[in-house]
Amino acid sequence: MPEILGASGLSVELGARRGLLRHRPGVRAVDGVELSVREGETFGIVGESGCGKTTLARALLGLQRESGGEIRLEGRSVSGLAPREARRVREAVQYVHQDPGAALDPWWRVGATLAEGLSIHGIPGRAEQQARIAETLAAVGLDPALAERYPHELSGGQQRRVGLARILLLRPKVVILDEPTAGLDLSVQAAVLRLLRDLRARFGLTYIFISHDLSVVRRVCDRVAVMYLGRVVEQGPAETLFAAPGHPYTRALLAAAPRLDGTQTGPALPGDPPSLRAVPSGCRFHPRCGLATPDCAARDPALEDAAPGHRIACLRWRDAA
Amino acid sequence: MSIPVLQVQGLDVELRSERGVARILQDVTFTIPRGGTVGIVGESGCGKSTLLRAVLGILPKGAETPRGAILFDGQDILTDHAASARGRIGFVPQDPYLSLNPVFRAGDQILEIMRRHAPGSRADHKRKIVELFRAVQLPDPEGALRKYPHQFSGGQRQRLLIAAALACDPALVVADEPTTALDVTTQREILALLRRLVAERGLSLLFVTHDFGVLASVCQEVTVLYAGRVAESGPVRAVLDTPRHPYTRMLLACHPDRAADLAGIPGTVPAATAQPSGCRFHPRCPLAQPSCAAAAPPMQALGEGRAVACPWYETPLPETALA
Repeated sequence: MPEILGASGLSVELGARRGLLRHRPGVRAVDGVELSVREGETFGIVGESGCGKTTLARALLGLQRESGGEIRLEGRSVSGLAPREARRVREAVQYVHQDPGAALDPWWRVGATLAEGLSIHGIPGRAEQQARIAETLAAVGLDPALAERYPHELSGGQQRRVGLARILLLRPKVVILDEPTAGLDLSVQAAVLRLLRDLRARFGLTYIFISHDLSVVRRVCDRVAVMYLGRVVEQGPAETLFAAPGHPYTRALLAAAPRLDGTQTGPALPGDPPSLRAVPSGCRFHPRCGLATPDCAARDPALEDAAPGHRIACLRWRDAA
Repeated sequence: MSIPVLQVQGLDVELRSERGVARILQDVTFTIPRGGTVGIVGESGCGKSTLLRAVLGILPKGAETPRGAILFDGQDILTDHAASARGRIGFVPQDPYLSLNPVFRAGDQILEIMRRHAPGSRADHKRKIVELFRAVQLPDPEGALRKYPHQFSGGQRQRLLIAAALACDPALVVADEPTTALDVTTQREILALLRRLVAERGLSLLFVTHDFGVLASVCQEVTVLYAGRVAESGPVRAVLDTPRHPYTRMLLACHPDRAADLAGIPGTVPAATAQPSGCRFHPRCPLAQPSCAAAAPPMQALGEGRAVACPWYETPLPETALA
């Protein structure tokens, strides 16, 4: 499958101030990320709080201006543009918030909220809008008559579906799902994942699936990138990455996930995640890594191929196995 | 045989409001032996938090307990106010970011609890806190006394709250999803800490969670709640390996580690004001018979400490319910 959305050397700096007299440097929330998402796949991005998952998503969307590197959409470079322009050329990329129901205006009927998106994106005809809305509501498993209701009249699950419908109306090609199952009960989570899978097939979507729930990621993603402190430290097919993780951080992350059989695998990860304000030298993971050598503090490892399509940024991954 | 730390017997909790009577808990029974670790699992709205509040004696205004008893150390804390368990049950809250007062120093917040509930002087209390901070592996235990909450990371705050829960030498520690707000690597450390404290100090633990993986790593026994009733109970390993109640079976089939496909359970958890008759799971259950809607099935003992509230516990679920 060809690439639909990609990035090379992508960096995002947050919080920098450039005044006349004083200059305060920002932090690099995303630092030199390489990414290539293929058409039709579900691409997972995992990592702990503060690793840069959401900032990366915002940069891909065009909501956050990149400070370096390139973003490609359908083979075209779309980076280096002013925010408004950046969003316009990335219309095909849409974002689903963690709680899409919360994004509905309580004073507006569901139909009006849905129509607003269409108007903004240049589909003005009321008949055309109504037809699309009815079709999309049915696709997410809702009665089209729900368009006449207000958000408070819907259950949480229905609101979530309306939130999804709102994005799908715009006929996106790539949908960024930010923690789509966080805070959901198991049975609801299963229903949401199933719906997402059906919608992907029906609308020919590509998903970027941001999550910290490794069980879910393993279940639904084709390929996965693991982030640590703004860097991608490992990337590969979900099956390979979960069966044979190469980077010591990936190993620690997988070992930490509580398992149904109650077993513990591997040692715990020592220390708290470091801050972006004090990024360690060399490999960013070295202060917490059991395999670290003095070399790791001096040299910054780049992603290298461990197997076709499986890339690891670690000087010592060969010794890890 | 010593008396169990906690016995909840046939407990009902009702909440009256203008919209009617919400039967939040009905006929809930379980026991925590001394040194035992019991998990309460269930989805949102199953009554986990209400059960926990009832045990802690902090039910909201308007909540009534028309039937049942909560015996703490053999004394009913629902009727006998002198036997109040306050100060003898430690509580670890869900969200370490919201559960500390940002304008008071960590040490002072714990001293406040001890001043009310623990004997001894302020100096004794301080020594005790430092010792607890060491036990929960907070860096620089002496210095931590004088720090403010924002100076700790999320994992450290949860350690701080665990120390606070232990400050008055409780007979029982109640934890309400203490790791949901944390990253997995931090969660793992906190769970390891809880396991160690249980083993070293002989703590009894009541652990509320919706995460079966977390349950498996901390608890010996489990009680599964559905819509305010106990669906099934028993040793954690046995219940997770061979769930009996249709609800438990279907819920575990939704777990991404286990599902053959993403199954789901049809329908939704009923509102507490509109509970179905008979077995509360029957409208969603593929095994339901007319008798299920007539009367609530009683708990049947299955041996080896297991019990289930369903007569069809041996009937296999239809393939379609698990696919």
